[in-house]
Amino acid sequence: MNEALQMNEALQMTSIAADEPEAGDDIDLASLDDSELTAQMHDDLYDGLGEEIVEGVNILLERGCSADKVLNDALVEGMRIVGVDFRDGILFVPEVLLAANAMKSGMAILRPLLAETGAKPVGSVVIGTVKGDIHDIGKNLVAMMLEGAGFDVWDLGINTDADEFLTALNEHKPDILGMSALLTTTMPYMKVVIDTLVEKGLRDDYIILVGGAPLNEEFGSAIGADAYCRDAAVAAETAKELVSARRFTA
Amino acid sequence: MKEPATPNEPATPNEPSAGRGPRRRGGGRAARQAARATSTPAAPYLLRRVPPVDILDDESLAMIERNAETILSQVGIAFQGFPSALELWRDAGADVDGELVKFPPGLCRQIITDNAPEVYTQHARNPARSVQVGGDATVFAPNYGSPFVMDLDNGRRYATLEDFKNVVKLTYSLPQLHHSGGTVCEPVDVPVNKRHLDMVYSHIRYSDKPFMGSVTAAERATDSIEMARIAFGGDLADRTVMTSLINAASPMRWDATMLGAATNYARANQACMISPFILAGAMAPVTVAGLAAQALAEALSGMAYLQLVRPSAPMVFGMFAASMSMATGAPTFGTPESGQAIYVMAALARRLGVPFRSGGQFTASKLPDAQAAYESAHTLLPTMQAGVHFVLHAAGWQEGGLALGYEKLILDADQLGAMEVLAKGVDVSDNGQAMEAFFTNPQGEHFLGNQHTLANFETAFWRSDIADCASYEQWLDEGSLSAADRANARWKQLLADYEPPPIDDTIDEELRDYVARRKAEMPDEIG
Ligand code: B1M
Repeated sequence: MNEALQMNEALQMTSIAADEPEAGDDIDLASLDDSELTAQMHDDLYDGLGEEIVEGVNILLERGCSADKVLNDALVEGMRIVGVDFRDGILFVPEVLLAANAMKSGMAILRPLLAETGAKPVGSVVIGTVKGDIHDIGKNLVAMMLEGAGFDVWDLGINTDADEFLTALNEHKPDILGMSALLTTTMPYMKVVIDTLVEKGLRDDYIILVGGAPLNEEFGSAIGADAYCRDAAVAAETAKELVSARRFTA
Repeated sequence: MKEPATPNEPATPNEPSAGRGPRRRGGGRAARQAARATSTPAAPYLLRRVPPVDILDDESLAMIERNAETILSQVGIAFQGFPSALELWRDAGADVDGELVKFPPGLCRQIITDNAPEVYTQHARNPARSVQVGGDATVFAPNYGSPFVMDLDNGRRYATLEDFKNVVKLTYSLPQLHHSGGTVCEPVDVPVNKRHLDMVYSHIRYSDKPFMGSVTAAERATDSIEMARIAFGGDLADRTVMTSLINAASPMRWDATMLGAATNYARANQACMISPFILAGAMAPVTVAGLAAQALAEALSGMAYLQLVRPSAPMVFGMFAASMSMATGAPTFGTPESGQAIYVMAALARRLGVPFRSGGQFTASKLPDAQAAYESAHTLLPTMQAGVHFVLHAAGWQEGGLALGYEKLILDADQLGAMEVLAKGVDVSDNGQAMEAFFTNPQGEHFLGNQHTLANFETAFWRSDIADCASYEQWLDEGSLSAADRANARWKQLLADYEPPPIDDTIDEELRDYVARRKAEMPDEIG
């Protein structure tokens, strides 16, 4: 951010500081205008307040805001801020989890509306830890960050074999297949899954992201994944980028 | 099984004689050089002469034990994908619902105290290197499980079988390490379903220290047992020659792979380390007392299961505690909280009366640097002071276990040598009191020529193989090397000097045949 912009933002903040609610205040969301409400929703997401997010989403929709706009301006933008502060060490993992859950409760309202209007949701992901592997902490963090970024996530859990991945892909038709492995003994199985997709002529239907501590970039490309993601924040970023690139070219 | 092997105690220094004794020819330069070149034979394990440090009182420990029983009876532990375990638990009087087992309070503890040995001997191929597990012994084993290796020349890379053999050879050459370990690093260049054969063979062939078997599949445990039978000759029903690592799938789960391997080992009278491996915050509550109750509950359920499989099966209560950074999600190591967990869990294991495995020299650092040293020291001291019996990851652990560091292995082993001194405690014998020295030394003069000094100087102070204590100029002249640089030179030297221990040719051949046959029987598999 350049300095002028930063100044500008600081000035704006001081100018509205007098009306701004103090932390802990009970706020009547309905009394806020759209832009105040959107800003408040960013704060509520930041604070992980699911009920308030649901209320805010409903108010905006009642006022005639499109689902698309609520999603992008209130939720996705709010979670972007959460992401920045997580990256910068201000927000902690449990707080991001709460924020992602609040985001999810907002998404639950928006999802059917987005489908009705044909507006594109952020994207969807089927994710799992591969066969033979029970490490799931990293995968859970990735799922959390993806949900926080607005993705619909189907988490298949641990010890997932190719058949289970294929069944889930067929059922949910996601944009992305995400696989996690923490063992050198199980990471080759990611290739088994990808090869199965190639065999069935389905490989190009999905963006494939892989991750897990013993992997690296080289391994990711060697097995034919679209990207290796070193951590959960990168996974969410990469997911957004690749989905939009694909939509752009499609 | 309870008769422990006797370690070679370092020779006690000569008793001081008052004044100057008769002068004797010592053989001059040649004799002295020869004497200094050969180190005293290393003790097969360390004996602790100092009492363990307790950081919690009995009442608090009893409270944690009650909490563990509450977890066992009300929350339960899942035994996943392993119906025979559920059957055993049902017969033992536990409440089995699907795969979830709830244990009447006290049941697991009772099964363990009725059956489990307090101490056992793990036999080595070379009987002089057999180790006592439990009691006042501490056994140091190297790093385990790292997919990568790192050294200053070649940086970080996937580990190969060559690296694996190197680490086994180095561990054999390092007197501070008593045990050859298990998956010291993962030989990624060998197919997944065949690696264990090469690993077990390497331990047997390139070392004569005790070792660990494979646990990544029940049949790989069986292969390890078969190979041990060849190496040690005959049935192993009366001898424990492997101690293998069985991790809980925390929180509160045991998975089929680990249960399968543990069951096969127990049936063959081979030992297992039943280890909850917990990243606090993610896999357990964030507090030490919460983590301790959970780890105790998990360990009790796993150990009692083993005793149901084979009453009096040798085993170790294991616990690995690290935490997850709440800020980033990354695993952290060498933190003060994990040190506290080691003290608390060791005390709980003592109350239960079983050998305890924990600690090591942990770090998240990517390099053998200051972070690595501090974090490692923050785990090693609690490990020693808590009185841990079996210390896996005692040397070489780097990058949160993702990499074995060649230099780190050397640096860590050096520190283990210092632990030997700490464990021995303070000598308050006549010689230790050194009163003779005061009477025989002229008042106000230095002690360098005193008979007491002459009798003791060689063994009086622990001497680091790595630390540089020379003058600045000398250090400069010698190339301004860091500790890691010096460790780099040392592991290369050790590998260059390495000579394999003897092995009977027919045994070696039989082992090779076994490996070749098993490899031929299976197509290469990934996973
Ligand atoms: C889109 O897709 C994506 C994108 C990004 C993705 C992604 C997917 N998945 C991950 N990412 C990325 O984003 C995440 C968040 O930033 C990151 O995820 P991570 O998972 O890397 O990071 C997490 C947030 C925190 N990290 C972790 O949770 C893993 C930490 C370490 C210490 C670890 C743990 C905790 C465990 N373990 Co295991 N364990 C180790 C690990 C060493 C290490 N430093 O990584 C490792 C991986 N384990 C190992 C071993 C040996 C084993 N473990 C085992 C068991 C366990 C526990 C069950 C005890 C526990 C896992 C509990 C659980 N519920 O997950 C056993 C195997 C069990 C099995 N069948 O899977 C066992 C075989 C041990 C045994 N003898 O019992 C070693 C590797 C072995 C190898 N050679 O490959 C190991 C390096 C430790 C070691 N030195 O021994 C990124 O990698």
